[in-house]
Amino acid sequence: MNEAVLLCLIPALPLVGFLLTGLLGKKLGRGLSSWIGTLTVAASFGLALTLFIAHPDGFAASGLGIQLFDWIPAAGLTIAFGLMLDPLSLIMTLVITGIGFLIHLYSIGYMKHDEGAPRFFSFLNLFVFSMLLLVLADNYALMFVGWEGVGLCSYLLIGFWFTKDEYNAAAVKAFVMNRIGDLGFLLGLFVMVATFGSLSFGEVFAKAGAMEAGAPALTLITLMLFVGAVGKSAQIPLYTWLPDAMAGPTPVSALIHAATMVTAGIYMVIRSHVLYDLAPIALTVISVVGLATAIWAGLIALSQRDIKKVLAYSTVSQLGFMFLTLGVGAYSTGYFHVFTHAFFKALLFLAAGSVIHALSGEQDIRKMGGLAKKLPITYITFLVGTLAISGIPPFAGFFSKDAILAAVYARSPLLWGLSIFAAFLTAFYMGRLFILVFHSKDRTTKGVHPHESPWTMTVPLIVLALGSTAAGFLGMPAVFGVPDWMAGFLAPSAGEYAVGLEEGTEWLLMGISTVVVLCGFIFAVLKYGPGKVVPTEDKKTRGPVRWSLRKFRVDEFYDALIVKPLFALSSWLFGTANDRGIDGVVRGTAGLVAWVGGRVRLLQTGNIVFYLFAMTLGVIVIAAVAALG
Amino acid sequence: MAKEFGTLFLFLAGGFVLSLVIVFVNWLLRPRNPSSAKARTYECGLETEGPTWVQFKISYYLYALIFVVFDVEVVFLYPWASSFKSAGLVPFVEMAIFIGVLALGIWFAWKKGAFEWN
Amino acid sequence: MDFSTLTLEIGAAALALILLVVGLFLPDGKKGQVGIVAALGFAFLLVLSFLAPGSKGPFFMGQYMNDGISVLFKQIFILGSLLVTLMSLRFTRRFEDARGEFYVLLAFSLVGMMGMAGATDFLTLYIALELMSIPLVVLTAFEKGSMRSTEAGMKYVLLGAMSSAILLFGLSFLYGAAGSFGYGAVMAALTGGQTGPLVVIGGIFALAGLAFKVAAVPFHMWSPDIYEGAPVPVTAFLAVASKAAGFAALLRFFPVVLVPLGLGMTTLIVLIAALSMVLGNLTAIPQTNIKRMLAWSSIAHAGYMLLGVMVASFAGAAALVYYLLVYLFANVGAFAAVTAWSELSGSDEISSFKGMWKKSPLISTVFIVSLLSLAGIPPAAGFIGKFFLFVEVAHKGYLWLVALALVMSVVSLYYYVSVIKTLVSEAPEGETSKADIPLALRAVMLVSAVSTVVLGVLPGPVMGYIRNILSTLSS
Repeated sequence: MNEAVLLCLIPALPLVGFLLTGLLGKKLGRGLSSWIGTLTVAASFGLALTLFIAHPDGFAASGLGIQLFDWIPAAGLTIAFGLMLDPLSLIMTLVITGIGFLIHLYSIGYMKHDEGAPRFFSFLNLFVFSMLLLVLADNYALMFVGWEGVGLCSYLLIGFWFTKDEYNAAAVKAFVMNRIGDLGFLLGLFVMVATFGSLSFGEVFAKAGAMEAGAPALTLITLMLFVGAVGKSAQIPLYTWLPDAMAGPTPVSALIHAATMVTAGIYMVIRSHVLYDLAPIALTVISVVGLATAIWAGLIALSQRDIKKVLAYSTVSQLGFMFLTLGVGAYSTGYFHVFTHAFFKALLFLAAGSVIHALSGEQDIRKMGGLAKKLPITYITFLVGTLAISGIPPFAGFFSKDAILAAVYARSPLLWGLSIFAAFLTAFYMGRLFILVFHSKDRTTKGVHPHESPWTMTVPLIVLALGSTAAGFLGMPAVFGVPDWMAGFLAPSAGEYAVGLEEGTEWLLMGISTVVVLCGFIFAVLKYGPGKVVPTEDKKTRGPVRWSLRKFRVDEFYDALIVKPLFALSSWLFGTANDRGIDGVVRGTAGLVAWVGGRVRLLQTGNIVFYLFAMTLGVIVIAAVAALG
Repeated sequence: MAKEFGTLFLFLAGGFVLSLVIVFVNWLLRPRNPSSAKARTYECGLETEGPTWVQFKISYYLYALIFVVFDVEVVFLYPWASSFKSAGLVPFVEMAIFIGVLALGIWFAWKKGAFEWN
Repeated sequence: MDFSTLTLEIGAAALALILLVVGLFLPDGKKGQVGIVAALGFAFLLVLSFLAPGSKGPFFMGQYMNDGISVLFKQIFILGSLLVTLMSLRFTRRFEDARGEFYVLLAFSLVGMMGMAGATDFLTLYIALELMSIPLVVLTAFEKGSMRSTEAGMKYVLLGAMSSAILLFGLSFLYGAAGSFGYGAVMAALTGGQTGPLVVIGGIFALAGLAFKVAAVPFHMWSPDIYEGAPVPVTAFLAVASKAAGFAALLRFFPVVLVPLGLGMTTLIVLIAALSMVLGNLTAIPQTNIKRMLAWSSIAHAGYMLLGVMVASFAGAAALVYYLLVYLFANVGAFAAVTAWSELSGSDEISSFKGMWKKSPLISTVFIVSLLSLAGIPPAAGFIGKFFLFVEVAHKGYLWLVALALVMSVVSLYYYVSVIKTLVSEAPEGETSKADIPLALRAVMLVSAVSTVVLGVLPGPVMGYIRNILSTLSS
């Protein structure tokens, strides 16, 4: 079959799955629609794998492209509905469909008893479709469609289960915060249209290549796009939605809020690296924001008590690492971490889900402990995930984190020092989580009988654990004498990058980071290990821990700074148009209005008089403005 | 320009002054012997019974509306009729449609009972 | 005089008269069948508008014009009337023997709208505007037993009269300056240097009068009350068709009559647009009644669409027409969903939407698609519509305005999404009766939702058609 057709089928299959399960979900029943949802994603993965095997270089030469139809025919700007496969999008597609398939499989078990399973799978398929569209798009406009689509699915899935207002608020918050980022993205696109007259990758990059580095338009575009990435990938200051998003079912957290959607921002920056290379200011901003987020979120993760929230802040922190790497210009290294992170973070979330499932929905780690024996598979796989994320050799996270640290060191030893601190935090909070959940004293609520999960849930765990162990070997540093496959593979779409450190320095850096990580674990063991009491009361925390527990009160800050004033303004405006408000205004506005209101009150309402008055006033004001202007 | 406006102003002023003069002369010449009959609202006719602000029956308005419609129709018919011989066929058809539409209206009003007094 | 220029207008007027007569012949219990005749008639007109849109050109000594803009707008009006008629078939049962007149009034209002799209003369414009408005007033007050409906009708009369007065006052000043009612003559006189404070004031008053019709701030105050009070299908008609008619008139009036008055007019329309976007979106947030919320949202959308008028170019007109089409389907979809739901639950408060997903996935899906389109989330059509519009504004150089519009569409997301949230969340315990949605209403909902998605994913053909009609039929 024609390869272009295969390419179209990759996103089309999940779309078909969405339509089938969405429209006929009730008729198909829970079991059948779960399997349809899962198998369509599996088929997409198969197709992507076929293409990959046929072209192990990932269509490096010119990419595989297909333009389906003219999508937006605006005057002087025609945007095609086109898909494109190159090394970057191919590997991303493999991750999305591969891990997506595993998570679908896991969800079959996880959602078995849920009445809304067909709806769940239809949303999940829609998500996979949107994400593939985002990744495979050959222009920014189509990418934006995918970008919005994943945001929408994320919103629908966060609010999937819950009737409580706070969860609804979490969903709305996630959506609106994402949209603030998207606003930046869109503005960037409009500036792009104004600057280049096009939104297609090829044309924009070609035209940008001819521009001078540091041109203001480029800086503006790249910064605006980065605002979009900040929203989608939960960086400072738009990160607070991600922890709240944990209200959604755990497979959703694994797929959307850990492995795929939140890395869209990083994908977008790598995709646009031609532009970013020409905008040094934007790169600096990215690295600063990335590093700050990595440390900030790591600090918050130290004291969270909800198993998923710890993982959520950990995700934010890891995303910060990735941005830091992009900021120093090591795009393929950044992507490598996206790749390995997809494995171990999905693994950790699914394992956490397995724990929650076993404890009938308990998420508070203070009510866990001693689960190692009761959930052996979950225990082993969670351990693999913990080692991988912390960066213990030879697990995947070690290689990707090491590559990041080396790239950062090559740029600035100071940045490196701060990043290694963040790496220490990672090891510490992961060690804490691991000990409190699986070791330490059994604190589970009486009457709960933990049980290992069914095979559809454990198989994905095992596969992902294998992946978390092996994925790192794809990007071994040069000092091992093995070619860095990942960097070579991505070079055509992410640019060449060489660390350029001496061999001795690299070994030293590796050694230091390993020692630091081990220290993190040791601290965790000392603090939460055998014989230590786990605080169960909020009162007992004080000082910095309390601040960390309260997430540095950022939510409250945003609330006071943005949400409340906006609502105040809104209800004030509402007040002027409201029945009660009218009277208030009439009384409140000095004598004249009240007098007019009283005199001309021919009709009982009083309202209409004010309307007429306001209209006349409007005309007069406008006339005055026109006369002055 | 100024001259034209000046003439206009003279006329305005003249009219204003004249009306004042007439009122003044009347005031000078009138006899002064007031009586209770003269102080009434009407010097002739009957005293009103009850409140004067009564609501008219809605049927009055229906009549009035329909009357106005057909009154206005005549305004259109007149110029057409005066040039009927020279106008030819097309205006005739047009006028037929016009009257036809109005006839539909009267039929509608009739069927809806607008002409029944109840 | 070539009467084929007026094919569609004559067709609509004839349809109105036919409906009147048909209503008289039907026995008392069967007056509702007028609605079916009306739907067939509107469908016929719609087909006719594609096959024979009437020959191009001015009519009656330049007082009237049939060109690309008017044909496209007429198609929008007819489409709106058709969808609203289908929406109302079940709804009008409650009006008993007056059911026939409902559709007659719709048809007469349609004739007025067509006149507004074609008018190139102040008097024609004014008469068309009143021909559109007076039936709308009666429709607004159609629920005779309902206080709200009656009150809304009365407010509409009074405020509409006021706005007409303002419009006429402005037009009289322009007439005084140009010595003619024709747009062309006025433009010639104005570009010939006939400007001055009085003329500018005339322009402002005329603009204010038309701004009332599209419900732009600060001439918007009527719309929330009247939208809330009017019967739902009428509200949909007001929000969609009557607003479109206002834009049709503005699109003709603004570049020809107002732009020659100087840059101040562009500043003015930018100001009105910005105010509408900001106030409309912010005030929509705390609304608890869906009709009021949609009223405020439509005020905000008037702001976006005024940008298309402001651009005053061929591409701007195309973008505006596209946006109106998108807006039509989104609003009709939303109002059809509200109609269907309020038949089920008896309420149009947003809080009554809880559990809608469980009771009727169809209504919920249509509702969600429509709201997403209004919010401008791809792949729903609203995104493409905004994109077309804002690209033109950006080309014109008003980047800050694009930024403001984007910020405001983010704000708008908040209230649209809150509604979606409510309807997806579970119902408080209660009996669930199966949704019984009339066939015609179901069709309207499906057509709106599907069109919204298609216009969002495949805008090419429709945009191509709009451009084609604009360029082949324009002078």
